[in-house]
Amino acid sequence: MELLGNIVIVIGLVFMAFGALGLYKFKDFYLRLLVLAKIDTVGAITFMVGIIIRHGFSFFSLKVLLIIVLFLILNPLTAHIIARAAYLSIEGIDEESDDGTGGR
Amino acid sequence: MFAVWILLAFMFLYIIRTVQGPTIWDRLLGMSLISVKVIILIVAYASFSNRGYLLDYALIYALFGFISLIFIAFFILDRTRGNK
Repeated sequence: MELLGNIVIVIGLVFMAFGALGLYKFKDFYLRLLVLAKIDTVGAITFMVGIIIRHGFSFFSLKVLLIIVLFLILNPLTAHIIARAAYLSIEGIDEESDDGTGGR
Repeated sequence: MFAVWILLAFMFLYIIRTVQGPTIWDRLLGMSLISVKVIILIVAYASFSNRGYLLDYALIYALFGFISLIFIAFFILDRTRGNK
């Protein structure tokens, strides 16, 4: 059980390495945004699943599970907010402002 | 225990990328990435040192990081649109 947990943790770290690599390789801002939205989230969740496997059934792994669920909800939202804000401020406001929300 | 050091190295990479990011949005993106990384670091340290109460701090930090990011994004959005 301990070894299995360590293996999953290493896999999570490999995903994060891809994220760090992607951050430097992608030239466009929106591509870099992909790192935050998907690669980093996957790395974090794999890492935490490895920690849960290491700790078995206890309140500790219950809390880590809660953090995983929180990540699943928050990270895509964060990426969407940044993408929308960046798009609005760079490409101009006229597309979004006519549907009544005023771009907000 | 080795994971904590590797995570610190990744965080350092993200900091460098945030500082040199061309636009302000890269910096916002970098800030969000670093806050995610800090949370993972707290969870990793809590699991290796068997301290259960640290996880509550990671939880709170995740929520605060998210909320602060929303308001920063809207603040920058209003500021850039203001002088348009």
